[in-house]
Amino acid sequence: MNSAEERHYLIIWLWLVVLVAISVGAASVLPKVQALALVFSIAIVKAVLVARHYMHLKNEKPIYYAMALVPLAFIILFLFGLFPDFVYHVTKP
Amino acid sequence: MTTQAAAMSGMENPVGKNGTWWFLASEIPIFGGLIAAYIVMRLGSAGWSDASSHLNFIVALINTFLLLTSSMTIVMAYAAVHRNALKRGAHFLGLTILLGLGFLGMKAFEYSTEIGHGFLPSSGIFWSFYYGMTGLHALHVLAGIIVNFTLWLQATNGSLAHHPHRVELAGLYWHLVDIIWIFLFPLLYLA
Repeated sequence: MNSAEERHYLIIWLWLVVLVAISVGAASVLPKVQALALVFSIAIVKAVLVARHYMHLKNEKPIYYAMALVPLAFIILFLFGLFPDFVYHVTKP
Repeated sequence: MTTQAAAMSGMENPVGKNGTWWFLASEIPIFGGLIAAYIVMRLGSAGWSDASSHLNFIVALINTFLLLTSSMTIVMAYAAVHRNALKRGAHFLGLTILLGLGFLGMKAFEYSTEIGHGFLPSSGIFWSFYYGMTGLHALHVLAGIIVNFTLWLQATNGSLAHHPHRVELAGLYWHLVDIIWIFLFPLLYLA
C-alpha cells in the first residue's frame, strides 16, 4: 500500500462489501416491507459513498452536485407524478 | 498562465471534466426513467415476484462484488497515475478491465441460462424490463472497458504521463456504471 489515499479507498470498498452483505441478509431474514425499506436505504448509502469518495464529490464545487442532483430530482418528480396511475389501478384477475 | 495550462496544472478543472459531468447528468434520466417506469409498473400489477424468482441471485451477487471492486481499482489507478506511478496505475487499470470482463462474462452466462429456460425479452413485461435495463447497463460496462483499455495502453507506453486527468474522467464514468448497478441489483434480485 503506497499512500493514505489508497488506504482510504480500500476502507470505502470494505464498507461497500459489508453493506451488500447486510442487504442480502436483510432480504432473506426480515419481512418483505421492512426488508425493502432497508435494502433501498442501503443502496442509497452505497451510491453516496461511491459518489462522495470515489467520484470525489465531497471535494467538488456545488455545480457538480447540481449536475448530479437536478436530473435526479426530475426523475423523482416523474415517479411521484405517476403514483396515481398505480394507486388507483385495479389489477384484473 | 493560460486557461489550458492552469487546467493541466490542477489549478482549474481538468480538461474535459465539465463535459464528462454533463454526459453523466444525461445518463441519469436514461436509467432513472427506466427504473422509475419499472417501479411504477411493478407496483401497479401482480406476478413480478414470481418472474424475478427465476433470476440467478448468486451470479448477480458475484457481479455486484466484481463491479464494486472494479470501482476501487480504478480509483486506485487514478491515485497512482496522479503520483506519476504509471506502472502501478497500469496494473490497476488492467485489474479494472479484467473485473469488467468478468462482469460481462457472468452476465453472458446468466443470459444464456435464462434464455435456455425460455425466458426471452418477449416473455413478459418483467423480462422486457430485465433485459432492457441490464442489457443497456452491460453495454455501458463494455464502453467503459474499451476506454479503460485505451488508457491502459497509454499507461503502458508512458503517454498517459502527459494526460493523467484522463483516468479521473474514465473513473467518473465507471463509478456511474457502478452506481447504476447498485440500484439494479436490489430492484431486480432482492425486491
